[in-house]
Amino acid sequence: MAFISSGYNPEKPMENRITDIGNRHYGEFLPPIIKKNFGKWIWHEILEPGVLMHKAESGDVVYTVRVGEPRLMTVQYLREALDIADKYCDGYLRFTTRNNIEFMVDSKEKLEALKKDLKERKFPGGSYKFPIGGTGAGLTNIVHTQGWIHCHTPATDASGTVKVVMDELFEDFQKMRFPAKLRISMACCLNMCGAVHCSDIAILGYHRKPPMIDDEYIDKLCEIPLAVAACPVGAVKPKKKKIISERTGEEIEVKSVEVNQERCMFCGNCYTMCPSMPLADHEGDGIVIMAGGKVSNRITAPKFSKVVVAYIPNEPPRWPTLAKTIRKIVDAYVKGAKKYERLGMWAERIGWEKFFEVCDLDFSHHLIDDFRDPAYYTWRQTTNFKFIENFPYEYNKMKGDIILKAK
Amino acid sequence: MPKHETPLLDQLISGPWPSFVDDLKTYAEYRRKNPNNVEYQIPEDVVDDLLGVLELSYVDKETHWKHGGIVGVFGYGGGVIGRYCDQPEKFPGVAHFHTMRINQPNGKYYSTEFLRGICDLWEFRGSGILNMHGSTGDMVFLGTRTEQLEEVFFELTHKFNQDLGGSGSNLRTPSCCLGMSRCEWACYNTQEAAYQLTHEYQDELHRPAFPYKFKFKFDGCPNCCVASIARADLSVIGTWRDEIQIDQEAVQAYINGEIPPNGNAHADGDWGPFDIQKEVIDLCPTGCMRMEDGKLVIDNKNCVRCMHCINVMPRALRPGNDRGASILVGAKAPILDGAQMSSLLVPFMKMEEPFDELKELIENIWDWWMEEGRNRERLGELIKRKGFRELLKVTGLKAIPQHVKEPRHNPYIYWYEEEVPGGWQRDIKEFRKRHLR
Amino acid sequence: MAYEEKKEMLLKELEKKSKNKTKFYFNDLAKILGEKPRMAKKIVNELVDEGKLVFWSSGSTTMYSLPGIGKQAAAEGEAKSEE
Repeated sequence: MAFISSGYNPEKPMENRITDIGNRHYGEFLPPIIKKNFGKWIWHEILEPGVLMHKAESGDVVYTVRVGEPRLMTVQYLREALDIADKYCDGYLRFTTRNNIEFMVDSKEKLEALKKDLKERKFPGGSYKFPIGGTGAGLTNIVHTQGWIHCHTPATDASGTVKVVMDELFEDFQKMRFPAKLRISMACCLNMCGAVHCSDIAILGYHRKPPMIDDEYIDKLCEIPLAVAACPVGAVKPKKKKIISERTGEEIEVKSVEVNQERCMFCGNCYTMCPSMPLADHEGDGIVIMAGGKVSNRITAPKFSKVVVAYIPNEPPRWPTLAKTIRKIVDAYVKGAKKYERLGMWAERIGWEKFFEVCDLDFSHHLIDDFRDPAYYTWRQTTNFKFIENFPYEYNKMKGDIILKAK
Repeated sequence: MPKHETPLLDQLISGPWPSFVDDLKTYAEYRRKNPNNVEYQIPEDVVDDLLGVLELSYVDKETHWKHGGIVGVFGYGGGVIGRYCDQPEKFPGVAHFHTMRINQPNGKYYSTEFLRGICDLWEFRGSGILNMHGSTGDMVFLGTRTEQLEEVFFELTHKFNQDLGGSGSNLRTPSCCLGMSRCEWACYNTQEAAYQLTHEYQDELHRPAFPYKFKFKFDGCPNCCVASIARADLSVIGTWRDEIQIDQEAVQAYINGEIPPNGNAHADGDWGPFDIQKEVIDLCPTGCMRMEDGKLVIDNKNCVRCMHCINVMPRALRPGNDRGASILVGAKAPILDGAQMSSLLVPFMKMEEPFDELKELIENIWDWWMEEGRNRERLGELIKRKGFRELLKVTGLKAIPQHVKEPRHNPYIYWYEEEVPGGWQRDIKEFRKRHLR
Repeated sequence: MAYEEKKEMLLKELEKKSKNKTKFYFNDLAKILGEKPRMAKKIVNELVDEGKLVFWSSGSTTMYSLPGIGKQAAAEGEAKSEE
C-alpha cells in the first residue's frame, strides 16, 4: 500500500487549491428526453407498482422504474446500478429523496426489458438487489440514519431495523392497496439527523440512562467547560471529586462533572464533546415508535408524529417486537382508514383513544406529554371522548401505580 | 474467508429487501481479491473490519464509535465528520473512519460516467462504502483515514469539478424536489433555485459563522416531497395565485371511469368505482368545489391550493399559470424545545432568476439571526424567543392575516412606544393637577 | 484599532482563555473582537487561511480553536508533535 499523491502538497495547502465551486449543474446530468421536455410535462400515471409514466406536451412519454436501494451501499452495488443505466437508459439515472433509484426509458420495449432484468438481480443470499415498487398508495423506502454502523450516539441500529421492517412489509412496497401513501422514517437517536418528526410511522432510537462519568480520565481527555456547555438542559455541572485511582489504588482528587440525572433527556450531546461521558447501554437503549405525521398539505395541514409506543427493547439481529408492532399499526390503518386518509388523519377521525384500541397498543404515562409549554395543548380539554374497553376508565378501576417496575 | 465471524449479521442476509450485509460481505471479498489491482490508500480489510465492529455492536447492543472534531479540509469548517472506533486494535481497518459529504447535483440525476469516477475515487482513497444519499441530500462517503481527506478533496475539485457539502454551524447543502424536470406540478424551477443559491452562498456553506445549522429546501408544490415545511429553516414551496386549469372533457373521462383516479395510485385496493362527489368535492378542505350542469366548478377565491383535487385528477386539473412560491421559516427537529414546522412569512413570491427577492429576504434574516441568535439556537427558536413581530421588523414586512391560523388568545399586546400618542414619558406633575394624591 | 491589530488581539485573548477551554463559538470571537458578525467573519476566516485558527466540529455545531492544542486534539492524534 504505497501512498499515491493526488497532487496535494501538505506543506503548501493553498497551492493550486480549488475551493467554493459548489455542486455540478443538474443540466449536465439530465437524460435527453428529460432535458427536451423540461417544464413541459402535462400528466402522469402509475402503470403498475413501481412504474411511472409521464407525458409531455410534445407527445413524448418517459417511463420510470423505481427500485428500492439499501441506502448504505458499496461502490460494487452502485456500479451494478450504473451498468443497468448504461444498458437501458443511455447512461443516466436518478435517486429519490427516499433512497430509491429511478431508471428512465423512452419506450415500452426498453421498459419491459429493464423490468425483467431488474427482477432477476439478486444478492448471493437471495434478497433482491433492485426491488421494483415504492409508488402510490403503498409503502415506499424508509429514510434512515447511520446507527451502529457509523454513529457515536445511536440508541439502536439503523440499517438493521430498516431491513427487518422492509422485509416484514415487503409486499406493500410492491403493491398499492393502502388508503394513502405510507411514509416510514428511522432515526437512531433523538437528535434526529433523519428528521422523522413528521412521518406516518417513525422508528426512533432512544436512550434511557444518563451518561456515566469516567472520573479519573475526564479531565485528561475532555475540556470540562465544553461538556458542561454541551448539555441542552443544563444538567452537567463541574465538580471536584475524591476517588480511588484505578491505576495506583490511592485516593486522589480529580476535576470531574456531576450530572443531574432527573433532568437528563438522554441526547448524548455531552458524549459528542467528551468521550468520558458515554451513555449507550444494552439494557437502557431501545426504540420509540411515533405515528400520524405528514409533510404534505393535502386536505389537511402537515402534522407532527405522536409517540404511540414508549419503548421496544433492542432485539438484534431481527427486532421481532419492532416488526410485529409496526405490522399491527399498519394492519389497523389499512382496515380502518377511508380512501385518501393518511394515518394521522385516520387516527384523528376515530380519536387517538380509539387508535390505541384498534392497534392493540399499551398506554402509559410516558405517552402523556410533560415537556414544557406544548404539553398542555395535547391534554383533553373537552368531555368528548370515546369509551374503549382495553383500558380502565371508571374511577375505582383506574386506581394503581403508574410506575412500571423494571424487571 | 471473511476476517470475522458474523453470525448475527448473517441473519440479515435473508428476506426479500436488499441486504446491506450481503452487499458488504460480497464487497469485502472483492476488496480482498482486488481483481483490478487497485492501490488501496486505506487498509484493504476496512470492510471486513466494519462488519466485525458492527457484529460486535449486535452482540453488545451498544455502539463502538467515538466522535472526532477534526474537520480535515484546510479552510473549510464543514463537510467532514470525524469518527474513530473504540476498539482500534481489534479492528484496525476502521480505526479512523471519517465521513465526507459531497454536494449532490440538484434533483439527484447523474450520468453513469460521473458516478463511475466517484466510485473509483472512493474505492481507491476510502472504504468504498457510501450513502445515496444522506438525510440532508449530500452523497455521503463513509469511512476514510485522516491523511486521505485532503487527497479526496483535491481529486474531487481538480478531476470532478465537485465540492463538498455542509456540516456544522453553516448553511447546509440545499436540496430540492425533482421539480420541472419530470413533474407537471412544479410551480417554479426548484433545481435552478437550489443550484443558484448553493453557488451564491458558498462562503456560508463552507465557513461556519452562524449560531447553528441553517437549511434551505425547495419544494415545487404543496405536496412537499422534500419535506421542506418540516425540515428547513427556510422552506420555499411552490404555489400559484390564479385559477386551477380545468379540462372539462377529462373531468368527464374520470367520472365515466375512463381514467383511473389519483394517477392509478390506488390500483390494488378494492375502492369501487370513482365517485367525484365523495372523493374530490366532499374532501375539499374549503368546500369550494361543486358540479354544475355536468361541469366541475371551482371557486378559486376560496381555494387554499392543498393539491388534493389535482392529485386525484392529474389529467383534468393543473395548477394555475401565475406561479411562484410561498416562503415559510423556522422548521427544525425536536431537540431542544420540541419540533417546529415552518411558519408562513411570505404568501407569494415570484421565483425568477436571479432570485434577487429571495436572496434579499434570506440575507435580512441571516443578519438578524447572526446578531441575536444564541449559540446553537435555530432560527425557529429565535423567532419564538423574540416574537414573530421581530421577524417582520427585520425583514421589513407588514403583518397580514395569513401569518396566523387565528389571532392571539391573550390581550398582552406589546405596543411599541412610538405607536402610542405622546409616547411613554409622562409628567407626574401634570397628572397630579388632575388627580389628588 | 487597525485591522491587523484586531487579529493579533483576538489571538492573544484566545491564548489567555485557552488555559481553561480551547474551543470557542463564533459568537464568542465576535464578542472579543467587538465587531458585527460580517466583519468578525472576515477577520476569523483570514486567520483560518493563515493557519492561525482551526475549526472543530461536533457534526452539528462548529467551534474554533488555536491549532494543535486542547485535550481532544491530543486524543485524536491531531496535535502538533512536540519537537
